[in-house]
Amino acid sequence: MGIFSSLLSGSGAWNPLVWLLAFVVAVIIVYLIWSRGEKSYKKGTEQTTPFISGNKEPSKDAVHVRGGNLYWGYTEALKGYYERIVPLHSGDMNDYVLWYLGTTALILVIVVVLS
Amino acid sequence: MKPTRSFNESLWAFHFNSGSCNGCEIEIVAAITPRYDPERFGIKLVGSPKHADLLIITGPVVKKMKDRLLRVYAQIPDPKVVMCVGTCGISGGVFYDSYNLDGPVDDVVPVDIYVPGCPPRPEAILHGVVKALAKLERIEGVKP
Repeated sequence: MGIFSSLLSGSGAWNPLVWLLAFVVAVIIVYLIWSRGEKSYKKGTEQTTPFISGNKEPSKDAVHVRGGNLYWGYTEALKGYYERIVPLHSGDMNDYVLWYLGTTALILVIVVVLS
Repeated sequence: MKPTRSFNESLWAFHFNSGSCNGCEIEIVAAITPRYDPERFGIKLVGSPKHADLLIITGPVVKKMKDRLLRVYAQIPDPKVVMCVGTCGISGGVFYDSYNLDGPVDDVVPVDIYVPGCPPRPEAILHGVVKALAKLERIEGVKP
């Protein structure tokens, strides 16, 4: 099987030459759009900053959308739960071991009592 | 990119309110209604100064708006023309010498065309736009 032959499968065909041709056509279209852009703008001035109704552009970290912003509604709805749970995650291994021992002891007591 | 001839004839305007009472805004909107229909000549208001050839400024430039006016003016690509619409922007009008002004407009940015009136009629605003178009063509060297 040659290197440029088509690969046929149940869902269609794939040929590296066709793919390469499509890529070249896409690059040419992108170049044509780019080359028609306005070139006379002044670099390093306000002309390269975004237009925000005349307001100054905020620093990037002030407008950065963090991962937590995506599930803000979820944490807001469960705020009562998170207010109690988050302080328990102190990062201190002693606390976690104590929780582990306490929970294990509780389960053992329950199991013994129920049995 | 060198604009085509047809592109040169179309003038895109960005409107900036520097503290106007909205009277001039109403007249600007009246000027773009179907009664006058400047868009048939390619003259229209745009939402970003980066797309504009003409900056239409109303209001006497209150202190809060000076920085914003300077930023918007800087964001318009060259060549650009500035038109001041209304008495407030020209002289301060009834707010002349107010403690709250950094204007009038030509104290903040260079103005090419003044359209007086409180507010000016739509015909006067369109007359100013035609003057702006003529000036822009002179700057670009399209017409002498």
